[in-house]
Amino acid sequence: MNIDIQAITKRFGAYTALNSVDLRIGSGELVALLGPSGSGKTTLLRIIAGLETPDGGTVLFGGEDALQRHPRDRQVGFVFQHYALFRHMTVFDNVAFGLQVRPRSQRPAKSVIADRVNELLRLVQLDKLATRYPSQLSGGQRQRVALARALAIEPRVLLLDEPFGALDAKVRKELRRWLRHLHDAMGITSVFVTHDQEEALELADRVVVMSQGRIEQVGTPTEVYRQPATAFVYDFLGDANRIECRVEGGQVRLASQGQPLGGVSGQAGPAVVYVRPHDIELQPAGDDQATGTVRRVYEVGPLVRAEVDYAGTLLEVAVPADDRMPFRAGDRVRVVLRRGLVFPADRPDRPEPMALVPFRGGASGPVVQRL
Amino acid sequence: MAAATAGGLRQPSVLPGFGLTLGITLTYLSLIVLVPLAALVASAAGLGWDGFWKSVLQPRVLAAFQISLATALVAALVNAVFGLVVAWVLVRYDFPGKKLVDAIVDLPFALPTAVAGIALTGLYAPNGWVGGMLASLGIKVAFTPIGITIALIFIGLPFVVRMVEPVLQDFEAEQEEAAGMLGAGRLATFVRVILPAILPALLTGFAMAFARALGEYGSVIFIAGNLPMVSEIVPLLIVIRLEQYDYGGAAAVATMMLGVSFALLLVINLLQQWVRSRHGS
Repeated sequence: MNIDIQAITKRFGAYTALNSVDLRIGSGELVALLGPSGSGKTTLLRIIAGLETPDGGTVLFGGEDALQRHPRDRQVGFVFQHYALFRHMTVFDNVAFGLQVRPRSQRPAKSVIADRVNELLRLVQLDKLATRYPSQLSGGQRQRVALARALAIEPRVLLLDEPFGALDAKVRKELRRWLRHLHDAMGITSVFVTHDQEEALELADRVVVMSQGRIEQVGTPTEVYRQPATAFVYDFLGDANRIECRVEGGQVRLASQGQPLGGVSGQAGPAVVYVRPHDIELQPAGDDQATGTVRRVYEVGPLVRAEVDYAGTLLEVAVPADDRMPFRAGDRVRVVLRRGLVFPADRPDRPEPMALVPFRGGASGPVVQRL
Repeated sequence: MAAATAGGLRQPSVLPGFGLTLGITLTYLSLIVLVPLAALVASAAGLGWDGFWKSVLQPRVLAAFQISLATALVAALVNAVFGLVVAWVLVRYDFPGKKLVDAIVDLPFALPTAVAGIALTGLYAPNGWVGGMLASLGIKVAFTPIGITIALIFIGLPFVVRMVEPVLQDFEAEQEEAAGMLGAGRLATFVRVILPAILPALLTGFAMAFARALGEYGSVIFIAGNLPMVSEIVPLLIVIRLEQYDYGGAAAVATMMLGVSFALLLVINLLQQWVRSRHGS
C-alpha cells in the first residue's frame, strides 16, 4: 500500500503545524519522520492515521482518498508513544480487541481469534505473558504488546509515534533491531516518528527531515547524512561546528580575521561552513603556523574530544581514543578542516551547499569539487 | 526482622508512626462510631431475642424496610447513570456557564435537607407545578415511594459526579484513540474501554449515594406523606417509636437497620475490590 501525501496543511489557531507538505511513501517502505519537537512530524503521522483532520490537501492510500474514510475504516495500525494499552485487559485481550470489536458479520470465530492472538504473541515473544495485565510488564514488553495489538487487525499501513521514546537506551537499541527485522519479514508500509537521528538513520529505508512544518529533505540515510540539502539537516543529523565565513575568489575565509579555510567553487558572499567534529584535524605547530589554541581535552567512551579556540570560534574536535590525543589544554595547534559544507548565508531559499575543498600538506591550488 | 515477623501483621516500612497512627485511628473510630453503635445494640438487647424479633417483624416495620431499601437502591442506580452523564459533560466539553453548572452539582450537599424536602413537596404535590401536570396523566408522585425516590436522587447526585469526575479527567485520550484505530465504534469504545476504567469510581459513588439515601430523613418526610405500609421509611419509624417513648422498639429497628446497611455496604465494597483486582493494579 503506497501513501501519497499532497499539499497537506494544518493550523492550530494562528500556529501553522504543517505548511503544504508533499510526500510519497512507497509500498513496503519503512520511513522515518525526523525532526525536533514542533516540526510537525507527529501531526503529519496523526493526519495519515485520521486522528487529526488537515485544513487542506489530500492523503491517498493506494490511489484512494483516505480522508473520506473514518479512521477505524482505514486499516491503519497505530502504536502510541506511551503504549495506550487497555489497563483493565490482559495482554491477550488487548491484542484480541481489534478482532473482537469487528461487526458480527466480519468477526472471526473465537478459536480463530485465539489462534491469531497467540501467533502474534509468539511473534513479539510474549506468549508466556498472555494472562498478565499491562501494569505487570516492563516498558519494552508493553511496547511489544502495543505492536502486536496494532498488527492484529492486519493493517495496510503501520504508524508508530516515537515508538521507543519512553524506553531506556539499551532496550531501545534492542527493540529497534527487532522492529527492523519484523518489518523485513512482514513488509507492511510503515512510518515512524522520531527525534533521534541515530534511530532514524539506523532503522529507516528513507528519512524525511522536517522543520517548522516543512520537509527539509527526503532521502536514504546515506543521502541525508552525506548530502544534506540544507544547513538545518546538516545540523540536526549530528554534531556540527558552525563557522561564520566569507567566500572570495574560490576560497573560504574566516569572517572575522580572513584566514583561508579551504577552497570552494561558488559565488562570493557571506557563508557558513559546517564541519563535523571528526572532520577536523589538529597538527602540532609552532607559534608562526598555529591557528588555534586547545582549551579543554576530555574522553567520552571511544572518542577523545577537544575544544579548540579557532580565531574566536570554539570548535569541537573528536579523535578516536586509540590515537591518544597528543595535546593538552593550552597547546597551540594548526587546525585543518578535512571535510565540510559551505552554505551561502544570503540566499535563504534553499541554496545548494558547496563542498569545502581542504588545503592539505602542499595541496596545489583550489580544486573544484561538488558533492 | 523482628518487627517484620511479629504476628505477621506489620509490614516493614520506612514510614515511622505506625503504632501511633493505628492507635489514634482505633481510638477515634471507637469513640465516634463504635461506642454509640454498641450502646444502640445494648439498648436493643434489653428486649431479649423474643422481644427483639417481635418488635422488628411487625408488618409495618417490614414494609418500611422494603420501602427504604427499594427507594434507596433505585435512587442510587438513577444517580449512577445520570451522575455519570453529568460528570462526562463537565469533563469532556467546554460551554458557557460550565462553572455555574459545576457549582449547582454541590448544592444538595450544602442545602439543609428539610429545605430540599419542602421545595420538592411544593413542586410535586398534586397542586404543584410538576405534580399538577403529572396528576393529569394519572401519575401521583408526592406521598408515594416515587416521591421518596425523587428526594433521594436529589440528595445523592453529588456523590457519583464527584467520584467519577477526577477519574474521567485522568483517563488518557490515547486509549480512546487506540480503540478507534483498532476499529471500535463509539459505543464499543465506551462500553469496553472507558466504562471499565471508571467502573471502580462509579461503584464507589453508587455505594456512597446508596448509603446516604438509606439514612436520609429530612428531605424525605415532607414528600413521603408517611402513610404506614405505603410511604413510611425506616428512619421515620424509629423517630415515631421514640416519640411514643418506645425506646427499646426504636433501638431494635435501628439495630436491624444497622445490620442491613452494614451487610449491603460490605457487599458493595467486596464487589468494588473484585472490580479493582481485575485491573491488575
